[in-house]
Amino acid sequence: MLVQDDLLAPEVLADPYAYFGRIREEDPVHWNDRWGGWLVTRYEDVVAVLRDHDRFSADRMASLVLELTPQDRDRLSLLINYFSKWLVFTDPPYHTRVRMLINKAFTPTSVERLRPRVRQIVDELLSQVAARGHMEFIHDFSFHLPVIVISEYLGVPPEDREQVKEWSDETSRIFFIRADEPDRRERSQQGLQRLLEYFEPLIHDRRRHPRDDLITALVQAEERGDLLSHEELLATCTVLIFAGHETTTNLLANGLVAFMAHRQQWDLLRENPSLIRPAVEELLRYDGPVKATFRWAKQDSELGGKAIGAGDRLLAVLAAANRDPRKFQRPDELDIARTPNPHVAFGHGIHICLGAPLARLEAQEAFLALSQRFPHIRLADRPLEYHRTIVARALKELWVEW
Amino acid sequence: MARRLRIWVDYDRCVGSGICVLTAPGVFRLNEDRQSSVVDPAGEVEEKVLEAAQGCPQTAIFVEDADTGQRLFPPPELA
Repeated sequence: MLVQDDLLAPEVLADPYAYFGRIREEDPVHWNDRWGGWLVTRYEDVVAVLRDHDRFSADRMASLVLELTPQDRDRLSLLINYFSKWLVFTDPPYHTRVRMLINKAFTPTSVERLRPRVRQIVDELLSQVAARGHMEFIHDFSFHLPVIVISEYLGVPPEDREQVKEWSDETSRIFFIRADEPDRRERSQQGLQRLLEYFEPLIHDRRRHPRDDLITALVQAEERGDLLSHEELLATCTVLIFAGHETTTNLLANGLVAFMAHRQQWDLLRENPSLIRPAVEELLRYDGPVKATFRWAKQDSELGGKAIGAGDRLLAVLAAANRDPRKFQRPDELDIARTPNPHVAFGHGIHICLGAPLARLEAQEAFLALSQRFPHIRLADRPLEYHRTIVARALKELWVEW
Repeated sequence: MARRLRIWVDYDRCVGSGICVLTAPGVFRLNEDRQSSVVDPAGEVEEKVLEAAQGCPQTAIFVEDADTGQRLFPPPELA
């Protein structure tokens, strides 16, 4: 029924909502031969897949290993070893143990204490560009905010932030940027290697000189012996720095584009700052930073009338679920007062984004400040181009003026 | 005598992270939709109940003093 099966085609990258929306209405659990797996697009089915971690595994490395030759497995052994300890790619019981260990640091209550500092960083970043009258929003603002916040929280010194960000970007090539790049696995492993080499002495330092930061807390968990191994500690440092980078950047950029296309909603927020919490939830639903999340079937099952075979790959298309008219009224409209708003932008089930409370807080502070300080902000007359990735909804640049 | 608690879950927010069940298994259980449900509000000491409510990434768990109606969690700024 569908001609286009290239998930990286220009029109799919430009408007995934039209493309995945059509699949949702015509063939909601859809086999995509080119990607080699099922696209799951209805809200109900997406939630069913994400909450059933017994049937649908998040262990992406187990799936990747099957695709590799023995030689490639050897060559990529470091990458496989550490990625298989990244929370996002693991199943219980490992996931349960490590998630419960670090969950306390990322609860809404814990991150609320960071709000004054986040507000200050937002203010400083906006003050640097205020007189200029224009900025490239990602380079000048939305890239820096999450990097500074997670770096400070973890305990990465300010002078190392940019370098760490580069290695983190390299590491992410395997799943985010340029999904069709031939040497992306090697580059990803090299980036990871640099990150591991970077964190090793930092961990060593915190062992001797504990500080009030997350690395120290993780080191202390490792020292108890039964909670976290050394490799798990390193893996967790790298996943936290990585996850704290790109996604919030994209939430801010996508959110601003959404506001600029719905000017009356921007004005509504400006006049009613108390709407900021539901507003951020609506930005997450309307055009969140993650289009889809990966699972594979551990056993034969049925989903939306289709027979899913053991070993089959699935993409739970969050972007389609969040616009499902069966779940949301007027799904293609931005309505910052929408309540309730049970979107799946952060996922669902045990893998619900660990950093969600922090991302929410950063976005709340960013859009409050932007709407108050730059009420007349508008998009510059430049085309919007998105990175070639199946998973992330990531603009290359976003030029704005005021 | 420990005070009686009124505990409920906002089903528009609950995503079934399971964290409350792991923190206070005597109070919370995942139902057939894999959302949290309160099986026994007196199934754990108050400290554990509040830890479970605070641990929820979605702030989906509400706790009150059952006799006075005083809200124990979440505070207004998180509700």
